Amino acid sequence: MTVAVTAAAVVASRKRRRIRWGTVVSYTLLVGASLVALFPIFWTLSTSIKTRVDSYAIPPKFVQFSPTAKNYRQLFSNAEFTKALTNTISITFTSTLLCVFVGSLAAYALARTPRFPGRRPLEASLLLARAIPGIVLMVPLYDVVTRLRLYDNRLALVVIYAAANLPFAIWLMTSFIEQIPIELEECARTDGAGRLAIILRIVAPLSLPGLAATMIFVALLAWNEFLIPVILAGPRSKTLPVYISSFVSNRTLDWGPMAAASCLAIIPIALLTIAVQRQLVSGLTTGAVKQ
Amino acid sequence: MFTLPAWLLILALFAVPIAVGVYLSTRNATIGAFSPPRSVGFENYRRDVANATFREAVRTTLVIAILGLTMQLPIGVGLGVLLHRNLRGTRLFRSVLLLPMLLTPVAIGLMWRFILDTDLGVANWFLSKVGSSGFDWFGDRHAAVASIVLVDSWQSIPFVMLLTIAGLAGLPTEPFEAAVVDGAGPLRIFVSLTLPMLRRVLLVILLIRLIDVLKLFDVIFILTRGGPGTATQTVGLLNYNTGFNFLQTSRAAAIGVAVTILTIPLFLVWRRASRSEP
Repeated sequence: MTVAVTAAAVVASRKRRRIRWGTVVSYTLLVGASLVALFPIFWTLSTSIKTRVDSYAIPPKFVQFSPTAKNYRQLFSNAEFTKALTNTISITFTSTLLCVFVGSLAAYALARTPRFPGRRPLEASLLLARAIPGIVLMVPLYDVVTRLRLYDNRLALVVIYAAANLPFAIWLMTSFIEQIPIELEECARTDGAGRLAIILRIVAPLSLPGLAATMIFVALLAWNEFLIPVILAGPRSKTLPVYISSFVSNRTLDWGPMAAASCLAIIPIALLTIAVQRQLVSGLTTGAVKQ
Repeated sequence: MFTLPAWLLILALFAVPIAVGVYLSTRNATIGAFSPPRSVGFENYRRDVANATFREAVRTTLVIAILGLTMQLPIGVGLGVLLHRNLRGTRLFRSVLLLPMLLTPVAIGLMWRFILDTDLGVANWFLSKVGSSGFDWFGDRHAAVASIVLVDSWQSIPFVMLLTIAGLAGLPTEPFEAAVVDGAGPLRIFVSLTLPMLRRVLLVILLIRLIDVLKLFDVIFILTRGGPGTATQTVGLLNYNTGFNFLQTSRAAAIGVAVTILTIPLFLVWRRASRSEP
């Protein structure tokens, strides 16, 4: 009897210890991975507030330097930079609205109408559009765009951005709309509500969280977009990623202003991530599985 | 009716360029040519697709994909499993660990360039502290490939992690409870239960990563532009360099058509895998 009890106690305590060790190992790995994930971000921030001398120092100065706002001042006094920043904001904003609007319409059809002409081809082309490397499209697209005299045209960029992110927006919105119980719509229909009324009064309010998540994602993709503007944007419509990339070809590599510009590109995203964490994760997971 | 605007955008951005690309690939158009282009048949395919440069680019793409996957799969799946344990602070860790896939690739690529800088970079300084002489990250062929794999992995591990979490969340809990009752250890559960049940998710991850390496552009453009020489020139970069560095529109279009054809088998398997999902 006592033997059995002690044996049970030993097993229990061993189990507890094992779990605790498992937890320690888990946390160590998670903290380690987080440090690796965060270091380049930390390094961008710290380089952006260092003087030139401090940023080149070996051994590197991690914290022991006096911060300066010189890099940011230099950046904001540069008309090319402010132009790129405002271009990015306006193109991101407009293309996101266009993309999510068009995407929601198509998503509603895909989620609610099991059969309609062109459903299968639409699904197939959406998946294919996700698989084809963008660069493959850019060579012919450049040809078409220059022929139409739309090179370096902001409106053309807005439409192209919207189209590029459309497959993703449709996938995401479809899965969100599918989660809304269809019974609500059926009830409204039997009560005599028209299609438009159903969409405006029932589907739109209920899909608002999904709509928000989709908007955030599409905006993120548009904000980060590089391939399209590096090829199709000239001096007038240049965006922030293209501006940042121009630091590379610069022979006198000046890491301070470059880091400052990078910070201004990534800080909005980091803030957004913290602010809308839940929607972001649900959207990312849905999008990831759907993809 | 609701899908009409979507069709218009898809046709404009995907169908039209593909059709124009096929057309251009049979001509000899260049950017800034004096004479109007004329038809050359399959000449571009013979010269630019059936040659050593293209084959080398395909090989480079595969090497980057495979080396990347050997890093991304274990680390990404591992982190996904850790987060699935739902320890205290999981939400915070999840947001932090997701950040790399959300941040502007160009901005972060440039920062990596600074970190990996041969003389001034933190990476080589750190390596010198642990007794290594460091690497000429962008000057040496092998180190350059390694740098691309490193930065690509840093960016895409969150994606693998996320798919793993989603896959784990969709698994039934009963088999795991039964295994614990039967006294199986965590390692045993992982190897004989979790991994087999995640098989399809892992296949999807594999396919998407292959497709993504074919699409990979920003990071290579910023870090090496395909160099030194052609050491990191993937098919995407080869396409870009031919079209926009050497201004050979038609030859680039032929490469583009070839790359599109390469993606089709991947696309078909992927479609199959994602459709047969329960």
